[in-house]
Amino acid sequence: MNVTTYPSRNLFRRRGRTILTIIAVMLAVLIFCAIRTFIVAFNAQADDAAADRIATRHKVSITMQLPKHYIDDLREVPGVKAATWANWFAAKDPKERIPFFAGFAVDHNSWFDVEDDMQVSPEMLAAWKQTANGAILGDSLAKTFNLQVGSDVVITSDIYPGEWQFKVVGIYTPLRKTVDRNIFLFRWDFLNNDPRTVYSKEHIGWMVSRITDSIHSADISKRIDQKFDLQDDQTMTVSERAFALGFVGGLAAVLKALNVVSLVILLIVTLILANTVSMSVRERTHEYGVLRAIGFPPGQVRNFILGESLLIALAGGVAGVGLVELVINHALGPMMEANMSGVFQHFFTPRWVLAEALAAAAALGLVAGGLPARFASRLKITDALRRVD
Amino acid sequence: MTLLIVVLIVLLLPFVLLVLMKAVPFEYNARSLVVRKVTTLATALGIALVVFVFAGALMLGDISRVLAAAGRDDTVIIMRKGSDSELTGAIANEHLGLFRGPAQVSQAGGVIGEIVVVVIADHADGSGSSNVLVRGTPPEGIAFRPEIKIISGRAPRPGTNEAIVGTAIAGRFKGLSAGQSLDLRRNRPLIVVGEFSAGGASYESEVWGDLDYIRNALGRQAIVSSARVRLNHPEDFDAYRQAIETDKRYSMKVMRESDYFEKQSAQTATFLKVMGLIIAVLFSLAAMIGAAITMNGAVAHRSREIGTLRALGFSRLAILTSFLAEAIVLAVIGGVIGSALVLVLSVFVSFPIINFQTFSEIVFRFHATPAVFAKALVFSGGMGLIGGLVPAIRASRVSPIEAMRG
Amino acid sequence: MSEPESIVTLSGINKTFFRGKEPIHVLENLALDVPGGSFEALMGPSGSGKSTLLNLIAGLDRPTSGSVRVAGADLTKLSDGQLAKWRSQTIGFVFQSFNLIPVLTAAQNVELPLLLTQLSGPERKKHVETALRIVGLEDRMDHYPRQLSGGQEQRVAIARAIVNDPKIIVADEPTGDLDRKSADDVLTLLDRLNKELHKTIFMVTHDPACAERASVRRRLDKGALQ
Repeated sequence: MNVTTYPSRNLFRRRGRTILTIIAVMLAVLIFCAIRTFIVAFNAQADDAAADRIATRHKVSITMQLPKHYIDDLREVPGVKAATWANWFAAKDPKERIPFFAGFAVDHNSWFDVEDDMQVSPEMLAAWKQTANGAILGDSLAKTFNLQVGSDVVITSDIYPGEWQFKVVGIYTPLRKTVDRNIFLFRWDFLNNDPRTVYSKEHIGWMVSRITDSIHSADISKRIDQKFDLQDDQTMTVSERAFALGFVGGLAAVLKALNVVSLVILLIVTLILANTVSMSVRERTHEYGVLRAIGFPPGQVRNFILGESLLIALAGGVAGVGLVELVINHALGPMMEANMSGVFQHFFTPRWVLAEALAAAAALGLVAGGLPARFASRLKITDALRRVD
Repeated sequence: MTLLIVVLIVLLLPFVLLVLMKAVPFEYNARSLVVRKVTTLATALGIALVVFVFAGALMLGDISRVLAAAGRDDTVIIMRKGSDSELTGAIANEHLGLFRGPAQVSQAGGVIGEIVVVVIADHADGSGSSNVLVRGTPPEGIAFRPEIKIISGRAPRPGTNEAIVGTAIAGRFKGLSAGQSLDLRRNRPLIVVGEFSAGGASYESEVWGDLDYIRNALGRQAIVSSARVRLNHPEDFDAYRQAIETDKRYSMKVMRESDYFEKQSAQTATFLKVMGLIIAVLFSLAAMIGAAITMNGAVAHRSREIGTLRALGFSRLAILTSFLAEAIVLAVIGGVIGSALVLVLSVFVSFPIINFQTFSEIVFRFHATPAVFAKALVFSGGMGLIGGLVPAIRASRVSPIEAMRG
Repeated sequence: MSEPESIVTLSGINKTFFRGKEPIHVLENLALDVPGGSFEALMGPSGSGKSTLLNLIAGLDRPTSGSVRVAGADLTKLSDGQLAKWRSQTIGFVFQSFNLIPVLTAAQNVELPLLLTQLSGPERKKHVETALRIVGLEDRMDHYPRQLSGGQEQRVAIARAIVNDPKIIVADEPTGDLDRKSADDVLTLLDRLNKELHKTIFMVTHDPACAERASVRRRLDKGALQ
């Protein structure tokens, strides 16, 4: 026997209460991890973006376009290895099989040179060159729409009226976990030549460049913006990560609120654990008096109680982490990734979140047990011995 | 609503039974709550926090209702068919005159066309940047909405680069305070000359300037994003819609303004509401466990008293009901504390969220209505009922022999 | 034969409690001398202050005024922490309600005081076995208190009280919760501890038959010692 025997055996004294408390901690850990995973997943695409790619957009508004000839100027900037461009199509599925997917009109000659973590075969690229209304889809999107190479597909747009007809000439596969597998790509010149884009001819949405080395990305970005500074349409060049975050940015407050909420659940469960420990301490006051009489110093009594609290918290923490690993990483996550990959390409609880949760559980064990422990250790021995529960 | 009433009835049942059966005097249970102050407080606080989150979720879900309230029944918004929001719409200027044609249009109110665009603005506190909605409105645009009030500074002069900023975003972004300016394009600034309020409508998260100045700055002289039309009577809507949507000269979509606002925020609202409710439900599980632990402890602690009561002749049902009532009261105390916290939230906190359709920021204030409080209290009572059920059953199973235990 | 040295010397002891604002003088100007190796019984009506006096001797409480010397230590000069350590080395406690920890076995209960020492695991085990052998319960060492009779529980408690080889055993109504036979066994055991192991025993009791077994009997009435 050692000093941990007494606290651990005490957990079995009121088995029901201990089990309920452990379940509460487990629940808190589950919620905490789920919320954190949600936040991580939202930022994941941005976090994992290539370090050697930068995006150049209109300085004032994402809804404003740049003149097409800017791409030629961009390609001359030292440090820019390859550059391409895209227009936002605001694509919608007329059959509503998917709530949201990204549709881009891109330069078919350079897109896959720059966005090299989307993989296509040379045959697909060649077919794209031959087919004016050719489209290349992400593998997940193709599956949702039940399309193969050679199929016809019709989509609509929030910006441009009517139906748009395309022929699938290729399907790209992702080379990285965080690549969006639901993108619909078609030729920019097809968009530009269509009479429906009468108000925005020879204009592009934004440009993406691969730079020679990522260490100098800030300098190269500045150089690019300087080039267009004296024009009417000024640019802003940021890392691809910041560009992606720009879309998510408005959710900053929601994400911050979620962060607060994940802490609230920890607070709630700290109260529950503190209550449980207090109840146990109150029931055993007499016993603590006996221990003090025998010679156990107040600090030791305090440690016994803290130990009990910590054990319950860690038991719940470990159970919670195990449950998270099972539920999120083996069940919920893959389901989210498959069905909601427009928003969550990557729904997975990283190890550091699990570690954070365990540390939080331990911390709440100590905090919850703190007050009852202090109370018990400060009792006068004669008072404690007099109490009969 | 009916769910609320049903749950309320279920919650009141134990108390009614207690009175009818002349059962265990409730003072007995009430005293117990007071004597074990620490436990009662800790449990009530836990429930209070859950109620707080629940009410917050309810209020967030209300956002579309709040925004919809800003729209008028007799005002109609016209957008290009296929557009889901003003931002992506484009209507040729010459069509505006045609919209004025049908008989349902109020001659006093009339038709206005506006351009809408989002602009990146830096947060005043340096915490990054967000999109802000800029609206170019014709000279009669402000008067078109009687609820608009200039609360500081003055209205912009038509045809100039002056602008007013909505009260929800005033001062939150660099350039959006009186005297400052926001660039639309190089050498095309909007100078802020005043601040306006709009009765809580989403307009309060917008910047308003002159239609022509903004159109020219953006190179979109010939178009507007949307048109708004005031009808003679709200009932004229169907006739007017028929007239416009079947006209072969253009392809438009007509909606009531209130419906438009509601749809605009629908995606955001649903997202927030679903997320909020899922969180609240999971939290409530924790709170119910907390209530169960507390009540179980109370039953164990008082088993001798319960045995005595049973020996004195109180029935099982009486004991069950009294402990159930105690659990509900405990939970409702938490509900009251949580509601107080919610009140603080609604007064002091405003919440910026993103409108998924326009990617622009809407600033939302929590709106605590009596309905929210009612639902919160009933929710707390419900948690007490469920959490306290098993302990109450256990209490009723205590045998009179327990009274003899030394 | 010379007089054995006093192991307990109390002089000028006053102990006052407060009920609200009202002071209650439980012990007034009390003096006590207990020779080493004595087996003392203290009797008196309920509320007479017997337990209070016991608490002072055992270092569980401090007098309002007066001096307390026990086993060569001036208790009023020791801090709470020093008192705790002193108690663990000097005093063995026997309570009326046994006070064994229900979630620990008999052997673990006896081992408890040894956790306060620097002894190693195997050394502790030896002491525990010895103590349990003295009280005659080594075959029950892995039983839990609920598996023992009242008398057996009290004997385990006594084993716990002696495992640290204390100088004084302090017993507060040790037979109060026992039947006649078990009470007898316990008293015989205490007697043995006193005669064979030379432990000073200070026992508080209201049972005359119990007090009979002691060598010195005192009476405490209204705070005065007879």
